Amino acid sequence: MKHLLKERFSALLTRLKDPAQWLNGRRLRRFLGSIALVLLVTLIGLPLEIFLHPTNLVMLYLAAVVVTALYLGRSAAILASVLSVLAFDYVFVAPRFTLNVSDTEYLVTFLGLLVVGLVISNTTAVVREQFQAAEQRERNATALNLLSRDLTVAVGLDEMLQAVLHHVGQTFKREVVVWLPQNNHLIVQAASPGFRVDDAEQNTAAWAYEHNQPAGRGTEILSHARGRYLPLETARGVLGVLGIEPLDETTLLTTEQRQLLDSFARLAAMAIERAHLAEQASQALVLRQTEKLQSALLNSISHDLRTPLASITGILSTLRESESGRPGEQEPGSWPANSLDPATRAELLESASEEAARLNRLVGNLLDMTRLEGGALRLSIDLCDVRDLVGAALAQLGDRLNQHPLRTAIPQELPLVPMDFVLMVQVLSNLLDNAAKYSPEGAPIEVTAQIVEQGSKLAGPAVEMAVFDRGMGIPSADLKHVFEKFYRVHRPDGVQGTGLGLSISRGIVEAHGGRIWASQREAGGSIITVALPLHASSPLQETSRND
Amino acid sequence: MTENGLRILVVDDERAIRRFLKASLQAHGHLVIEASNGTEALAAAAEQHPDLIVLDLGLPDLDGIEITRRLRDWTHIPIIILSVRDQESEKIAALDAGADDYLTKPFGIGELMARLRVAMRHITTTHDEPVYQFEALQIDLAHRRVTLNGQEVALTPTEYDLLRLLAKNAGRVLTHHYLLREVWGSGYQTETHLLRVNVSNLRHKIEVDPDQPRLVLTEPGVGYRFRANEQ
Repeated sequence: MKHLLKERFSALLTRLKDPAQWLNGRRLRRFLGSIALVLLVTLIGLPLEIFLHPTNLVMLYLAAVVVTALYLGRSAAILASVLSVLAFDYVFVAPRFTLNVSDTEYLVTFLGLLVVGLVISNTTAVVREQFQAAEQRERNATALNLLSRDLTVAVGLDEMLQAVLHHVGQTFKREVVVWLPQNNHLIVQAASPGFRVDDAEQNTAAWAYEHNQPAGRGTEILSHARGRYLPLETARGVLGVLGIEPLDETTLLTTEQRQLLDSFARLAAMAIERAHLAEQASQALVLRQTEKLQSALLNSISHDLRTPLASITGILSTLRESESGRPGEQEPGSWPANSLDPATRAELLESASEEAARLNRLVGNLLDMTRLEGGALRLSIDLCDVRDLVGAALAQLGDRLNQHPLRTAIPQELPLVPMDFVLMVQVLSNLLDNAAKYSPEGAPIEVTAQIVEQGSKLAGPAVEMAVFDRGMGIPSADLKHVFEKFYRVHRPDGVQGTGLGLSISRGIVEAHGGRIWASQREAGGSIITVALPLHASSPLQETSRND
Repeated sequence: MTENGLRILVVDDERAIRRFLKASLQAHGHLVIEASNGTEALAAAAEQHPDLIVLDLGLPDLDGIEITRRLRDWTHIPIIILSVRDQESEKIAALDAGADDYLTKPFGIGELMARLRVAMRHITTTHDEPVYQFEALQIDLAHRRVTLNGQEVALTPTEYDLLRLLAKNAGRVLTHHYLLREVWGSGYQTETHLLRVNVSNLRHKIEVDPDQPRLVLTEPGVGYRFRANEQ
């Protein structure tokens, strides 16, 4: 309350210092209006004078005062009261057209007119102000309602803050700014276009935030700041600061406006809190999903790691046991019961190596998956040769494609394509490995590459690489799901795999801004297509580095 | 040949790896010196004069790149790096620091022996052979002539320089940086697309099937390796 009085007082001082400013256009128009009304009543009175006693003409002046008070406000009504007395005296009271009074009885009339005029002025003005206040309250309530409605439908912090900026700006016709803390430091989270941040405003907002008290213009603290800063307070503490800055230097907020601003600040605080809570809830959801994923991962790992380990352990123990009874230590020519013939030994060793290689691939896949999941995958983008990519993938697979005739169709004039070569080799070898795994022995595998200028699943020109097989194909219901984690098309013969390969491939391709999809091939088999953008988009180029 | 009876320093902090390497290398007639960390490795290299070093990249005290750099200050003995997958940038750093080759764990003893042979051959071959023969491909350095099945192959000067460099280092991996620096000059070390285009063109001229190259092999993320003639 104290600072309010102080402000009123300072407003009065300005008024006295600069009367011209106090007598602004609006006020001047009102005074002119009241003068015009008194003149009008005087003119109307002149012809009526024939029928009426001059004292009754006083009623006309009173009517003028009432009308002035109702429509033009208190000051204009007081002016009208005084002018009425003067005009009445001057025009109607003898001696006419002087301010002199011959009949002293009229002094009572003057006094009566003045007093009644003043009282009416005041009473009517009070009624008018109450009416206006009620109207203002309704407008405020509407403004709050509108903000509250917009905040309810807003999704996310940014939309909410935009709603706050819009409504506060419109209601107060001022620049608006919202500061939120980030790493213990207040930053401008949202601001209307005209707001300029500088140290003074920053410090004032910071003070309001730290002390949980309004600061800046129109308050006792740091009142030289351009803006007025209100802490956004909820039960959980101060969430940020709402600031408004007048468009010109002189305007100050009225008491009602202050209260309204406080209400806006409370609403904004609640909205921000709600946004924070929603964010926390979604983080919790992500965490739960991650946990679910991790448990699935653990199940899968424990099974997929143990299977090859079991074979390797079994083979090693078999070989070791047979070692103790090798031919040579026994009678030549006779094979002990627990010994192995060389062909079986070779077969077992071959099998152990294969299982070890499988383990290695599995660990590699898990590593890639973890990187993709953890967002730790860094692309090292470089212009690469697609033919080289295919060749490197084939070389990496080595013997695993031996059972399948391979055909490549890569046009001569293929431009270099921006990609992370190592990761894309991984993708392509995953696809080729799958094709081999799910095809019967002897079934051909084809690799194609082509430029698709338009009509690719990507927005711009793309390079599309596809792996065709003549395997058992993917049922149409599964086409969309094969890239999901741990998803495996049910196979009666139980092909080995974790269901991670395609999911990793999708992760890598999408990190390139590309797409990967599966389709059925006419006359049996499936096609997996990878589309990469021909021109790296800007986020990819940012991560590009040359080692 | 010096390929038998070599003194080989094996540096790895995993005992199982050292044991397996020692057993297999000894079975091939070599003498094995063991070191389990970088400090030991540097001391052993200085005191025991090994002919070759097999060096793990991930050691507890010093990393393999640093050890390579310190060794290269005073010796040219071949260094073969052992690394795991996804260490491409470290592999490249070690190779650029002067290591001769690398192997990705897990690896078979056959691969190690092949790398070892190439590294030893490289250090014992002091003079350029005038003619290289790889399957149907013949490179005559004295006459700058390349023939495939007796037919002359027309190469651009850049392609020829690239092929000569790869062939002279047959069996060794050469990093992108190295190739760019040697063929194009030091200002071009990051222009890998030049290299890719020229390798692609070269393959079209000298490979039977450029889609599945047998001579110029890609080492993903690291560089290229020309197929070694197994003798």
